[in-house]
Amino acid sequence: MPGCCGCWEVLRPPRYKRLVDSIFPANPQDGLVKNNMDKLTFYAMTTSEKLDRIGMYLEQRLSRDISRHRIGFVFVAMDALDQLLVACHAHSLNLFVESFLKMVQKLLECEEAELQILATQSFIKFANIEEDTPSYHRRYDFFVSKFSVMSHNADRNENVRTKIRGAGLLGLQGVVRKTVSDDLQVNIWDPVHMDKIVPSLLFNMHTPEFMSVNTESPRDEEHPAYIAEMVFRDLVCRASYGNVKSVLQPVLCHIDNHRLWVPNEFAVKCFKIIMYSVQIQRKQQYGYLVIQMLMSHLDTHTNSDPSIKASIIEVLYESVLISAGGSIGPSVLDVFNTLLRHLKTSVDNKSPEGEKRNMEKKFEEAIINTIGEFANNLPDYQKIEIMMFIMGKFPQFSHSEEMGFMDNYLQTMLLKTLLKVATKYKTVIMNNAFPPEFLHPLLRISLLDDPGLRVVVQEILHTLLDRHDNASKLKTVSIPKDVVSELDLTVDKVPRQDSLFMKKNGIQFYWHILENLQMESNKADNFEAIFCTMCLITIEMGGDDILVELIRLALDIQSMTIESTLPKTHKCCNHAIVAAYLNVLAQITNMSPLVQYLSDLFELRRKEACHLLPEFAFNRSNRDSSVKDEDYPKEDKVEEKWLFDQTALQDILTECGHDASRLSAPLAQRPHSSMGIMIHDSGMVNSMSDIGSINIELDSIESSPLLARKKVEEITVESLKKMLAEDQSVKREEDAKKRQEIFETFQNAPFEEIVARAEAKSNCFHDKLYEILEMSPPSSPDHTTKESQNAVPVFEMQFPSLYVY
Amino acid sequence: MDDYKYLFKVVLIGEAGVGKTCLVRRFTQGLFPPGQGATIGVDFMIKSVEVNGEKIKLQIWDTAGQERFRSITQSYYHSANALILVYDVCSQLSFDNIPHWIQEIEKYANTKVFSYLVGNKIDQINRREIPSHIGEQFAKRYEMKFIETSAKEAENVDALFYDIATELTKQAHQQALETDKGVNFKAHNTSTISSCSTCLRF
Ligand SMILES: Nc1nc2c(ncn2[C@@H]2O[C@H](COP(=O)(O)OP(=O)(O)O)[C@@H](O)[C@H]2O)c(=O)[nH]1
Ligand SMILES: [Mg+2]
Repeated sequence: MPGCCGCWEVLRPPRYKRLVDSIFPANPQDGLVKNNMDKLTFYAMTTSEKLDRIGMYLEQRLSRDISRHRIGFVFVAMDALDQLLVACHAHSLNLFVESFLKMVQKLLECEEAELQILATQSFIKFANIEEDTPSYHRRYDFFVSKFSVMSHNADRNENVRTKIRGAGLLGLQGVVRKTVSDDLQVNIWDPVHMDKIVPSLLFNMHTPEFMSVNTESPRDEEHPAYIAEMVFRDLVCRASYGNVKSVLQPVLCHIDNHRLWVPNEFAVKCFKIIMYSVQIQRKQQYGYLVIQMLMSHLDTHTNSDPSIKASIIEVLYESVLISAGGSIGPSVLDVFNTLLRHLKTSVDNKSPEGEKRNMEKKFEEAIINTIGEFANNLPDYQKIEIMMFIMGKFPQFSHSEEMGFMDNYLQTMLLKTLLKVATKYKTVIMNNAFPPEFLHPLLRISLLDDPGLRVVVQEILHTLLDRHDNASKLKTVSIPKDVVSELDLTVDKVPRQDSLFMKKNGIQFYWHILENLQMESNKADNFEAIFCTMCLITIEMGGDDILVELIRLALDIQSMTIESTLPKTHKCCNHAIVAAYLNVLAQITNMSPLVQYLSDLFELRRKEACHLLPEFAFNRSNRDSSVKDEDYPKEDKVEEKWLFDQTALQDILTECGHDASRLSAPLAQRPHSSMGIMIHDSGMVNSMSDIGSINIELDSIESSPLLARKKVEEITVESLKKMLAEDQSVKREEDAKKRQEIFETFQNAPFEEIVARAEAKSNCFHDKLYEILEMSPPSSPDHTTKESQNAVPVFEMQFPSLYVY
Repeated sequence: MDDYKYLFKVVLIGEAGVGKTCLVRRFTQGLFPPGQGATIGVDFMIKSVEVNGEKIKLQIWDTAGQERFRSITQSYYHSANALILVYDVCSQLSFDNIPHWIQEIEKYANTKVFSYLVGNKIDQINRREIPSHIGEQFAKRYEMKFIETSAKEAENVDALFYDIATELTKQAHQQALETDKGVNFKAHNTSTISSCSTCLRF
């Protein structure tokens, strides 16, 4: 072969060769011979079919110079190539490019750093040229491989290292640019390439000293960490929907391999870049894809150290924050499902080691925050849906085996999750905040066995009820002289529709409040939380329409308390709550005769029965001056004159222009049936019939709510075994189907239908509730089994242990 | 002129510290590098050899043994024509990890990639923990070729790489016979030959 070329040269070298030869100076330091280069360029442009030959000839010369280590001429040759490339890119560049790339490769194979850098620079120039015709057979494997190697350069000389790394990174960007626009070319998103490119970028981005360095100094632009980050952004920006995954997989893998989840500063940084870069394209669903990938990555870490999981969740959280504004994506419930599943797994991993458990707790908190953040990005009606979805995970409402057995702790976590979502909901109209589908199960879980759980349920109610930021001011039970100013309450006129809502649904609230106040396991927090709920209901919905009912509620609590077998401490709390509640009600509704009546009665109690006032009953301090068991009256007798009198109140109401006739009958009637404990019948009947009337039926002999409750307990305990013995599976299936239907049709079904469905569902819920209460051994045995004379001192156990985080 | 018949990609793998980088340096540069740091990610060297009068170019990719670089190193197995799996004859641990590396090969490399098991550092006679025959047996079981080397004393290093070049060339010839294409092994540069014939016609 050399012979054949030689023979040509002997005859007469072709013009293109002579032109090429003429551009090389005698002394390589002088650089390209400029006017000869212009001639060559002109020749190449006008005789473009010769371009290939020029390329090949240059390539030959270059190879020779490389092997003879004539570096200066190498530079000259590359300079000429670059110029030709730019000048002639219009057409027929294809074969020329082949020669060009061979030369670049040849230089990249050299050991000399300067040649590698030179080659990269040429390659980058080339990458910026848009070619007209795609070249299907061109491959970039070597370039990706070699640029990745350069990106990992470990030269002892920092200057050399920085330069080679920087060149490698920019080279990678060049390959991506060159290939990304044309799917017919190399598929740069193939794992073979991405598994090299992405780790190379991240390896350089993760430079501890760079992460803290002020990026504004101009020198930093040469820093590989800076370049890597820029290239990484560029890469993510260029990824199409189908390719986002190809980038993310190696990112996750790199973070795993380099153990960069804990601490997760770098991981957060990466995902922020990713989220912002996909946002640039204004393609929201990309963001969702990222979230989804993170979640499935979390799945692969199910059995990993909780600190890793917590870190991943934090990254997830940060990513969700960035995707704010748009909807998270098509399968929102998927996200919640995954997160809840991990919550469950974490709780089930009952690690005995304190340290590990602490990490799990951190993880659980992180999940809850993330769920909250997700929910925050959803429109309000979807937040309610999400809350229903979370509630559906409670064993009471769920027949699926998915969540399995649930202990108090897991229930607490679910409730905290619910609370988190609830705080993100901005209540406007009560009717929207409490659709029956949501309200009923929520109130049902307000009766959970565990006092700590019950407090959280009340808090959920608070945040949903409280439109005027009053809840935090109503956390202590007290009797201020001037409620509104002393507590700094914000009180607005009650919108008519909320009043109507309460007319429809009030009975639900009242009944559950009554039930709650009868629970022997109540701690101080429970009482305070219930008090707060009562006040909020009054402030937010206590219009004239329901004023009488609200007062009747106080009377019901009072009579229930007297007839109950609750410990003294509890009874006193109930009386104190009634007093404080009526005080709030009287003052915010401006009924001065009532205010007067109350203050007289308070005065009397202060003299004769101070244990019925909050100052005594809620004396929570543990100092010597605080109330001790022996301070309570020995006798459990409450004198009639200390109590709020129905007739007196009725007179006052009439005097104030209200129709007080309804005050004479207790609110809640416990309907009785052999086994189907239809707690909510009265409520449902009301809502379905005349919403304007309360429809109190006096047919029951058990006018006392207390007795009613007793009966329920009997029914439950006795019949549960029977219930459990029955084959539940058929029923379960039915119920599950129903639940599904309700869930689906809830949004568009007519109200009556929803009510009907809710009713069907409530039965099942309720059965389940009792089933669970029976099955799970009471977590604190003192709740129901303890005899009532062993009063549970309210003050000793202010904070149920489960509620302490 | 820098013209060659075939280009082969050779990838070195194995635990950190067994001497992969030293083997490559010894072969490509003819030296035993004093105290260089552990390889980061992947390193690259090139060396041309002659097999039966044909010029063969070997691209040698030297990978980091450390776990944290596993994902990037794995991505280099894929296109390898030959894999050199190195252990240290003075380190039982490095030998015990061989099955794990073989799994990696099976997972990430092309099936039927030509692979060599290499026991390095045989110059340290007194510290040897893995007898020759154990290594050999192992290699047999996994259908690998086997050789013991010393990068330090330049023992068997050239032999190793020349054997690889020879074997791959043989394979390439066979493939070229079987199919006309033989794209796997032919480098871009082989096109110079054909273009030269066009130049004759010109
Ligand atoms: N005695 C001896 N030491 C060697 C030999 N090859 C490498 N080493 C030493 O082993 C250590 C690790 O070598 P290196 O090539 O970096 O291992 P790699 O991590 O597999 O690339 C270095 O301290 C070398 O000096 C050898 O053949 N004989
Ligand atoms: Mg090494």
